[in-house]
Amino acid sequence: MTQLDYAGSVPASYPSGPTTANLADILERVLDKGIVIAGDIKIDLLDIELLTIRLRLFVSSVETAKRAGIDWWETDPALSSRAAESALAEENRQLRDRLAALEGGEPSGSDDGGRRSPKARSGTGGRRRRDGDGEGS
Amino acid sequence: MTGGRSPEPTPAGNDASVTSLCVFAVCAVAPGDQPIAGTEALGHAESGPLTLLPLDAEMAALVQEVPAERFTEEALREHLADPAALEAYARAHHAVVTAASAAGPVVPLPLATLFADHDRAREVLSENLPRFREALDRVRGRAEWAVKVHLRRDDPPPDQAASDRGASAAGTPSAAGAGRAYLSRVRGREKDRISRRDAATAAAQRVHEAANTVAAGSVRLRPHGQEITGKDRLQVMNAAYLVDEARSAELSTVLAALRTDLAGSAIEIDVSGPWVPYSFTAGEES
Repeated sequence: MTQLDYAGSVPASYPSGPTTANLADILERVLDKGIVIAGDIKIDLLDIELLTIRLRLFVSSVETAKRAGIDWWETDPALSSRAAESALAEENRQLRDRLAALEGGEPSGSDDGGRRSPKARSGTGGRRRRDGDGEGS
Repeated sequence: MTGGRSPEPTPAGNDASVTSLCVFAVCAVAPGDQPIAGTEALGHAESGPLTLLPLDAEMAALVQEVPAERFTEEALREHLADPAALEAYARAHHAVVTAASAAGPVVPLPLATLFADHDRAREVLSENLPRFREALDRVRGRAEWAVKVHLRRDDPPPDQAASDRGASAAGTPSAAGAGRAYLSRVRGREKDRISRRDAATAAAQRVHEAANTVAAGSVRLRPHGQEITGKDRLQVMNAAYLVDEARSAELSTVLAALRTDLAGSAIEIDVSGPWVPYSFTAGEES
């Protein structure tokens, strides 16, 4: 939208709304604003598919903003799919660590492409896990 | 609450089709008002006329009977995921809300607020009369103005590009020299980045503070992406201000002054309005 010219006079009547209103301006108002009343037909306006459209409209600013060094809103997870991804990755990492800890500090053998904990952990001595171990290591 | 009988007109010749009731907004009405006069052509497609559903002596819901099969959860989920259909629904809703506001304060409901029939709508809406009344009082005599601040994405200044080249070409063949030049370029870019960010943040803050001196309320919205702003602009602020009708000239004055101040910088200030105060109905605004 281009800059709106201010006419010298202010419309006397109640707002009639910009006639050539930007679709994004309208969407963010008719979807997000107004008094929400639970109707008989439940439409979640934040529904996934709808959200993808909205993300296309809004979220690209996160990447471009970061490039320009303006990133104060990127901590909003609703805005930043990357932030959401990294949060998920972090959660996954913590879960893996907990799982590893629960299983006695030893990775469970077959998977685990990354860091294997040192074999000789205190106390376990020569005892090996019964399964999933064997020839692999 | 006027517990009288339903005033709903049944669209002639439409009795065979099943309809749902779409509620667009709640309006302040006085006896004899015709808040939606002249809006016959508005509303959702293939639907009945817009009518008023009285809620009490001072408020009425602006409603329309719509084809039920097009407004089921499933159908809507499908339609609203289609950009063209979403736009049609959104613009229809917006047009109705905007037209209704010509007669007095209006509190919009979100797109696709639907009830089985008039009785259900009145029943549920009537449970929320205090909220509607409070919101109508808040927006009465006021309009919403959208104010956006953009940072124009200028090309890097030519002198800097030249000095970058100079550092590598004319400069120092030794590895140490090249390393220093590289580091200095990196530091320079980082400095530019930070100063750009600071300048944009400061400009947005100035715009917000200026607008806020005139406004009765303000809301920050999410900045728009490149698809909307165009590749050459970055939106750094997307805000809405609730402004007394009598003060909208003041808003334009303070923003015009800022525009003059910022002329020559990469900052642009866009204003649009007046809008129906969509962003100021929920009561959570600052």
